[in-house]
Amino acid sequence: MLSFTLRKLLTVAGTMLGIAVLTFVITNIAPGDPARLVAGPNATEDMVETIRSEYGLDRPIVEQFVIYMKDLMTGDFGTSIVSTRPVLDELLRYAPATIELVLVAMLLGIVVGVPLGMLSAVYKDGPIDHVTRILSISGVALPAFWFGILMQLYFSVELGWLPVSGRLPLVARPPDMVTGSLLIDSLISGNFKTFNSALSYIILPAIVLSFPCLASILRVNRAEMIEVLQSDYIVAARAHGISSRRIVAIYALKNALLPTLAMIGLRFGWMLGSTVLVETVFDWPGIGLYAVSSALASDFKPVIGVTLLIGFLFIIANTLVDLAYAWIDPRLRRA
Amino acid sequence: MFSSIRNIALAGLVASTALVAPAHAFERTDEGNVIVFGGRQAIPVLDPHIRYDWSTRMIQQGVYDALVKYEGDPAEVKPWLAESWETSEDGMTWTFHLVKNAKFHNGDPVTAEAVRYSFERGLKLNKGVAWMLKDFLAPEGITAVDDYTVKFDLKAPYAPFLSFLPWWFVVNPEQVKANEVDGDYGQKWLTDHEAGSGPFTLGRWEPNVLYEVTSVEDYWKGWPQGENRPAGVIYRMIREPAAQKAALQRGEADIVEGLTSDDYVQIAKVPNIVIEDHKGMTTFGIKFNTQKGPTADINLRKAIAYAMDYDAMVAIYNGAASLETSPLPDAMKGHIEVEGMPRQDLEKAKEYLAKSDYPEGGLTLDYVHVAGLEEARRIGLVLLDNLKALNIEVNIRPEQWPNMVAAGADVETTPNMTSIYATPISTDPDAVAYQYHKNSWGQYYGIAHYDNPEVSKMIDEARAATDWDTRANLYARIQKQIVADQPEVFGMLQNRRWARQDYLQGFTFSPVRFTGEVDLYPLWIKED
Repeated sequence: MLSFTLRKLLTVAGTMLGIAVLTFVITNIAPGDPARLVAGPNATEDMVETIRSEYGLDRPIVEQFVIYMKDLMTGDFGTSIVSTRPVLDELLRYAPATIELVLVAMLLGIVVGVPLGMLSAVYKDGPIDHVTRILSISGVALPAFWFGILMQLYFSVELGWLPVSGRLPLVARPPDMVTGSLLIDSLISGNFKTFNSALSYIILPAIVLSFPCLASILRVNRAEMIEVLQSDYIVAARAHGISSRRIVAIYALKNALLPTLAMIGLRFGWMLGSTVLVETVFDWPGIGLYAVSSALASDFKPVIGVTLLIGFLFIIANTLVDLAYAWIDPRLRRA
Repeated sequence: MFSSIRNIALAGLVASTALVAPAHAFERTDEGNVIVFGGRQAIPVLDPHIRYDWSTRMIQQGVYDALVKYEGDPAEVKPWLAESWETSEDGMTWTFHLVKNAKFHNGDPVTAEAVRYSFERGLKLNKGVAWMLKDFLAPEGITAVDDYTVKFDLKAPYAPFLSFLPWWFVVNPEQVKANEVDGDYGQKWLTDHEAGSGPFTLGRWEPNVLYEVTSVEDYWKGWPQGENRPAGVIYRMIREPAAQKAALQRGEADIVEGLTSDDYVQIAKVPNIVIEDHKGMTTFGIKFNTQKGPTADINLRKAIAYAMDYDAMVAIYNGAASLETSPLPDAMKGHIEVEGMPRQDLEKAKEYLAKSDYPEGGLTLDYVHVAGLEEARRIGLVLLDNLKALNIEVNIRPEQWPNMVAAGADVETTPNMTSIYATPISTDPDAVAYQYHKNSWGQYYGIAHYDNPEVSKMIDEARAATDWDTRANLYARIQKQIVADQPEVFGMLQNRRWARQDYLQGFTFSPVRFTGEVDLYPLWIKED
C-alpha cells in the first residue's frame, strides 16, 4: 500500500512538472510583450524596460525558467504583471468560486444524468428515450458560450426569474469565509437569505456548465444499463420475483455505474477547462475568468498557475474515481 | 421513486420562481442610493502614477484630485486643486496657487508639498503617467514655494504641459510614506488603497467582481447635486456586451458602456432607457507600413485611400460615427478641415494605381485588426470588397492586441495595413500630431512608421512655441502635409455611447475621457 501511494505521488509530481514545463514553454513562445502592454500605450522604451527588469523579463529565457522552477518548488507561483499581486494569493482567492461552481454542476450532472440514463434504458425506444436523446445530443452540441447567453436572455431578461451574472447581489455581504463556497459558508453561519441569493446566482452557470457532462453521463449510463439489464443475473433476479424497481435501482444500476464513474472523472477535468467560457459569460469570479483575462494580457505566470491548479484538481478527481471504482467493484481491490 | 423525482423537480421550479427580481439597479442603503455602473474592464491597480486605463482612471478621478480638471464638451481645463496659475514669458516656469480648504480623506490639508511629492513620485517611478512630462520636467524642477504655491521649472518650453496635468493626481505623502515597503513609494499599498482628496473614498474592493466608492459627505469642493448626492457608486464587472444589455434591461445596472452597435439601436427602443451618444475624439485609421513592402509606395497608398467606401464605415456603426476631416479630431484645438481629404473615387484610385509600381494590381495585402473587434473586422471586409476594383486581394487577419503591438514595433514585422483606434490623452493638438513624429515609431499609434523630417521638425517647433497663433499655424501645415503623405486611410471618429436608465441624472460628457469613462462626481438618482 505504501509503495502504491509513493508511486501515485511520484506520478502526480511528474505530471505537475510536465505541465509546468510545457505551459512555461508555450506561454513564452507565444508572441506578445506583457511589459509593453502593462506599461500602457504611450510608454517610452525606458519605461517598458523598468517593468521588464522589475519582473525579471529582461533575463534570458533559460534563466527565467530556472528561477521560475526554483520558486515553484518553494510554493512561489510568481507575481502577476497585470495585478502586481502574487499568483498564489490570487489562485486562492478565485479557486473556491470555481470549485463550488464545478461541484454544483457535477452534482447536477449526476443527479439528473444518472436517473435519466436509467429511465431511457428501461423505456428504451419509448418517448422518454427519444426526449433524452434530443437532450443529450443538444448537451454535447451546444456551445457553452451561446447556450449561456441564451439562458440569460430567457431566464433573466424574459422571465426575470434569475440574476444575469455575478455571484451575489451587490449590497449583500458575503458570509465569513470558512470553505470559500458561498452556499456552504452561508449555511454554516445560518444565513439562509444569503444562501438563497447565492443559489439563485449559481443556478444558470451550473446548468450551462453541467449540460455537456449531463449528456455524456446520460448516454453512457443508458448504454450500460441496457447491456446490464440483458445479463443473466438480472434475468435470474426477475425469475426470483424481485420487483422491477429494486432490480433496476439497485442490482443493475450499481454495475452500470462503473463506466459512468470513469466518465465523471474525465468530465471533471473537462468542466474545469470549460469554466473559462462559462465564467466569462456569467462574470463568475473564478480561475477560468482569471485565466482568460491573464491570457489576453499575455500575463504568463497566472496562466501557468491556473493550468497547474486545474491539472492538480484533475489528478485528484481521477484518484478519487480510482478509489470509488475499488469501492464499487470488490474485484478491483484484489487486483 | 418516480413520484419523488417529480416532487424534487416541482420544488426546484417553485424555488426558482420565488427569487425576486430587483425593480431598479441602484441599491438603497442607510446612507442613500448607490449607483451601479456596468463595465467590461477590471481595475487591477488603482495607483494613480502606475496605471491609467479608462476604468482605472474613472475611479482615480473619483478618489483623487488634480491641480486642474477636464470638463465639458469641448473639453476645457478648469481650476481644481489649483485656483489659479501663471506662466513665465519664456514658457519655462509654471506657478500654481492652491485652494486653501482642500483636505485629504484622513483630514490632512492638501499642500504644495503634497503636490510636489506626487509629481516627484510619478516621475521617479517611471511608469504609467510618467511619459507625459518626463522629457520636460525633472523631480528637482518642482518646488513648494510656500504651503499653497507650487512651481514647476521645465527643462524646455512645453506648450502642452497644462493639458496633461488633469491626469496627475495628488496623493497624501504622509499616508504613502507610512505604507512604504522597501522604498517602493507605497506602490504595493496603493494597489488597492487610496490616499486622495477626491469626492469619493474606497468602499468594497473585490478584484474582478466589483469596485465600490463611497461619497465623502464633506468633500471640500461640495457636491453639484447637493442633497441628492449618491451614497456611492459600484463599478460592477460585466464583461460581455450581451450580459451588459441583459443587466440593463433587468435593472441590474444603471449605466453600461460596452454594448455593440446593434445593441444600442435595439435598446434605445426600450422604455426608460436613454442612450448617451456623443462625438468622441477616438480616431480610426487603417495605418500603412510606409517603410517596407508595397505600401511604401505613396501612389499605392493613395489608390487604396480613394478606393475605400467611407460611407460604409459609418454605416457599420449604424451612423454613430463621423468621417475624419483631418488627422486631428474635430474636438481638438487647432483642428482644420483639410481640403482634398480622400473620399471614394474609383477613377482617381485607378490613376494613382497606374502611377504606382503595381499598375495592374495583382498583389495581396494583409489587413490586421484586434481579435474580437467586430467593427474593425467588418471594415476589413469593406476594404476587401473595394480593393477588388484595383485587382488587389486583402488578407484579413485578427490578432491579439499585445501581439499586434509587438509586431508593429518593428518595421520588418509591421503588416501592410493595421486598423488602429487611437484616443488622445489631452485636447492639445500635440497629443495627436506627435503620433506622426518619427519618435513615435515603435508605439502602436506609430505603426505606420511614417517619416517626414519636415513634419517632425514642425511638431517640435509647435510644442515649444508659447504663442497660440504660431502653434495654430504650424498645426494647420502639419495636418495638410500628413494628409498629403497618406500614411493611413483616414477613417472616422467613433461616437462614444452609454446606455443608462432615465432616472440616472447628472451625466456629463467630455470627449477627452477614455472609452467608457464617466465623471462619477455629478451623478445622482432621481426618485419619483
